[in-house]
Amino acid sequence: MGEPYAHPEVLVSADWVERHLDDPNIRIVESDEDILLYDVGHIPGAVRIDWQRDLQDQIIRDYIPAEKFAELCSRHGIADDTTVVFYGDQSNWWACYAFWAFTLYGHQNLRVMNGGRKLWMDQRRPVTTEIPHYPPRDYVLGQSRESEIRVFRDDVLKHQQAGKPLIDVRSPREFTGELLHMEDYPQEGSLRGGHIPGAKNVPWSRAVREDGTFKTAEELRAIYRHELGLLPGDEIVVYCRIGERSSLTWFVLTYLLGYPHVRNYDGSWTEWGNLVRVPIARGS
Amino acid sequence: MKPESHRGSPFAEIEDRWEAVERRTPLLPEGLEAIVAELREADRQERIDLLLDFSRRLPPLPERLAAQKDAAHRVEECQSPVYLFVELLDDQVILSADAPVEAPTVRGFVSLLIEGLKGATVEEVLRIPNDLVERCGLPEILGMLRVRGLSGVLRRVKTDVLRARASSPRRDSAGDGT
Repeated sequence: MGEPYAHPEVLVSADWVERHLDDPNIRIVESDEDILLYDVGHIPGAVRIDWQRDLQDQIIRDYIPAEKFAELCSRHGIADDTTVVFYGDQSNWWACYAFWAFTLYGHQNLRVMNGGRKLWMDQRRPVTTEIPHYPPRDYVLGQSRESEIRVFRDDVLKHQQAGKPLIDVRSPREFTGELLHMEDYPQEGSLRGGHIPGAKNVPWSRAVREDGTFKTAEELRAIYRHELGLLPGDEIVVYCRIGERSSLTWFVLTYLLGYPHVRNYDGSWTEWGNLVRVPIARGS
Repeated sequence: MKPESHRGSPFAEIEDRWEAVERRTPLLPEGLEAIVAELREADRQERIDLLLDFSRRLPPLPERLAAQKDAAHRVEECQSPVYLFVELLDDQVILSADAPVEAPTVRGFVSLLIEGLKGATVEEVLRIPNDLVERCGLPEILGMLRVRGLSGVLRRVKTDVLRARASSPRRDSAGDGT
């Protein structure tokens, strides 16, 4: 059947999840673009963790402080050694984003359910509207992994100047600068359109199939290794508009293909496109 | 009494809004006003449930429109494929839409608009404040980043209404002289 993923254990199937619905060491977490989806129905026992309401600080543009993260987990019955399985809509964008955020705080046992919400629903697996409540668990914070997987603007500039690989995972029209920002998303807008010079445009969606599952290792390698020329030891930076789509690409490169040095630039275009005197390229 | 030449100018809508305020004309058509009031009075969970109810009640797209689900009718601001159709029957706006079941927020919102705008006139639709989404109390349940797509839907409805009016055979400015 071809080569396996580099870290196959991070990806679990819907079958696996269905077999572990009552496993006390596992917490299933739904993370969606559309916040109402969880209310429509979710995997029995799954809790909702929202990137915007739960994981992002409501005042500073940053993620919540570590102690708040520990509280969030505790509240959902997640201990530091609980295996957390993420799934969500939009081919697991937000599931990967939550996975990335949990990794920032050093949580170890994280999984993504391949195919996400769509596949679960398409296969007519069990769904409930009942909201579960778990007794709070003790959560001891692990070692932060921020410096390994997150990158800030000054380092992105150095990375760019050094000519190291940058991947822009936005749509081609956002990449060329034709589309400045999504209309009616003024607060996610940028004053300048285009991309970070040297970045290659590989829209995030190229990593997934129609049914929301990830492409095979061979298919992914054909894109990132052969088409893009990424070498195993490369330091890679991925970005999009606010860092959510690029966390899916981060996940693919890090866990499915095994690149050990991939960082997500969550400031992304909404920061870069507003910075004074940083280099910008237009067109393809 | 504004000069006829202002019709269709970018200022026409602003002037209409001012006139409405000055004459104490209600900003929202009756049906929509009732829905907004209900949402505002609801608590967080009730608001979610109301929006989900709307989402379930979205009427199916009439067959003659279903064939026209093309780029021209797609709302670009939305991540999910949402299609809007604005038709005019005399001065009355008829809104139809299609949105995926797996995008209940936007589906609920277009359904809310369709229900709230039943029988509304062109002028009434254009007069709806652009902060309708905030008036419905949706940012509290959805978060600020998510409501922008919804504001995009309302703006799209208004643009389409203006477009439909411009392309419909001009009658003697019915509804303008009130």
